Amino acid sequence: MALLEARNLRKTYRLGKTAGVEALRGVNVTIEAGEMVAIMGTSGSGKTTLMHILGLLQQPDLDATPGPSLVIGGRDMTKLSDGARTRTRAEHLGFVFQSYNLVPTLSAAENVALAAEYAGHGGSKGRTEALAALDLVGLADRAQHRPAELSGGEQQRVALARALVNRPSLVLGDEPTGNLDSARTADVLALLRRFNRERGQTFVIVTHDPEVGAAADRIIRMRDGLVLEDQLALAA
Amino acid sequence: MRLLRNLGRRKLRTTLTITGITIGIWALVVFGALATKIDGLVTGAHAYFGERVIVSSAAGGGGMFPLPISLVAQAASADGVDVAYGQIETMIDHLGHQIGLADEMIGYVPGSDRGRDQFPYKYASGRGLTAADEGKNVVVLGADLARKNAAKVGGTIRIREADFLVVGVLEPTLTLPDSQAFMPLTIAQVLYLKDLPPDVADNLVASQTITHIVVYPKAGADVPRLAAALEASLPNVTTVTASEFDESVGSMANLLGGIIVGVGLISLIVGGLSVVNTMAMSVNERTREIGIKRAIGGSRRRIVGELVGEAGLIGFIGGLIGVGLGAVAVYLGNLAGEDSGTVLFTLTAGTVLASIVFATVLGMAAGTIPAVHAARLDPVHALRYE
Repeated sequence: MALLEARNLRKTYRLGKTAGVEALRGVNVTIEAGEMVAIMGTSGSGKTTLMHILGLLQQPDLDATPGPSLVIGGRDMTKLSDGARTRTRAEHLGFVFQSYNLVPTLSAAENVALAAEYAGHGGSKGRTEALAALDLVGLADRAQHRPAELSGGEQQRVALARALVNRPSLVLGDEPTGNLDSARTADVLALLRRFNRERGQTFVIVTHDPEVGAAADRIIRMRDGLVLEDQLALAA
Repeated sequence: MRLLRNLGRRKLRTTLTITGITIGIWALVVFGALATKIDGLVTGAHAYFGERVIVSSAAGGGGMFPLPISLVAQAASADGVDVAYGQIETMIDHLGHQIGLADEMIGYVPGSDRGRDQFPYKYASGRGLTAADEGKNVVVLGADLARKNAAKVGGTIRIREADFLVVGVLEPTLTLPDSQAFMPLTIAQVLYLKDLPPDVADNLVASQTITHIVVYPKAGADVPRLAAALEASLPNVTTVTASEFDESVGSMANLLGGIIVGVGLISLIVGGLSVVNTMAMSVNERTREIGIKRAIGGSRRRIVGELVGEAGLIGFIGGLIGVGLGAVAVYLGNLAGEDSGTVLFTLTAGTVLASIVFATVLGMAAGTIPAVHAARLDPVHALRYE
């Protein structure tokens, strides 16, 4: 069974009373466990909206016909309450964002531990897991630094550690290399690939960076709210 | 710790908000201490009054006007009266005005209450008056009066231009006796007459003059009815009982209670609004951070808890500082008042605790509004927020 199966995803953003923008116009996506998928497209193609919906940060239009479904790990997420989706995000999903999005008042270790805490691993257990995750991304020696004291590449690795600390089956990235130079981009991609290989974790990454696309197993190209092309990459 | 760090992000704003709460709580503590003191006086005075009925001249209170001593026998023979005796009770200096209790001199014959006076007098040093003191210039001083005049047992004190040997000093009672000087009746009678206008004094004989009759009713007697009967049967007198005293002084205590509620409300509104404002700004600035937390799985309840905790911490710190400064003000006020014998404040652990709890709860309550708002933020919208 596929890890994730989405059918008939539509999303319309209302502008005023009558006008609206159709960000997604009926998207079907299936993602197998252990895949590393890049979602690519121009800005406005709907790729970020798709990632937000797959990551349970947003609901698709529930009143659309045919009705949408988003099954992850055998459960239809469109039927869950906000609280249940929040719990699912905490326990089974990981997120990496373009602008790192670390909490500025917390140290690297505390940022990572926060995610562990949300998944129910508080206290010293969470701290130990956080340090282990930071070690995996090569930042054990920077654990006590605040985000402002870290470089962009280091901050993104902290964010990666935060996304991975709960060993989620699915990690979603929104332009995770968008603010990094090519050397740092290569570092981050190598890490993603390592976790994908070693732990069998599934990655879905929104990007317009061809380098990221090239590193993926599969590229989903989007345009105007629809999937334009869904192909396996030639060189994994 | 995390909460403290968040507060430390905007030091000036947090400081101002804490200052607002501090001022409110400071006022609450100071007024609370004042109210406690007044309350103590009222309760103490009630105990001091006991079952007594105090009879004085209908011409005026405060012991300014004389009564003939012959009325004592008349009062003693009235129905329901157990013990009655006459005394001089008058302000030592009736031109002096002060906050709190006026200094009084009380002239009485020791033992004339026949054991009915149940007020627990304790002597810090020296002794009480005895029948053997009659006719001598000796005095027992209340605690405040002794402290104000730096009088000690064995020393002398000048009261109405007469020198007295101090034979005893009372422990503080927190009510009327603290500012009273007890002396033999005959001595008080002479001093009392000396101070009356000559045309009044000329018609009086010192040994036949008193200002008050203290009446103890028989067990089971109807005190208000007894007071009314005394007023009716004795010429030109008025009576005061404990319950009447409660009514008159109690209304003042109620007024003060009202002021405290008012101060509490003002601090509630001002402090509360400033916490709401601070937290609302804080939520606004941290919209993105809240979005991140929601995205990585922070529940609404956690977000609310975090922000409400932060607001509560603001209140708690403000409360702590306010109580600290209030205690300093109360201490300094009492220190300054000590010289004039006017100790105005009593700060109790209850007031301290209640103020801190109040400030904390206030902060939390005020923080709830922006916190709930924050928790309702759409994570995607919040993440895009710059």
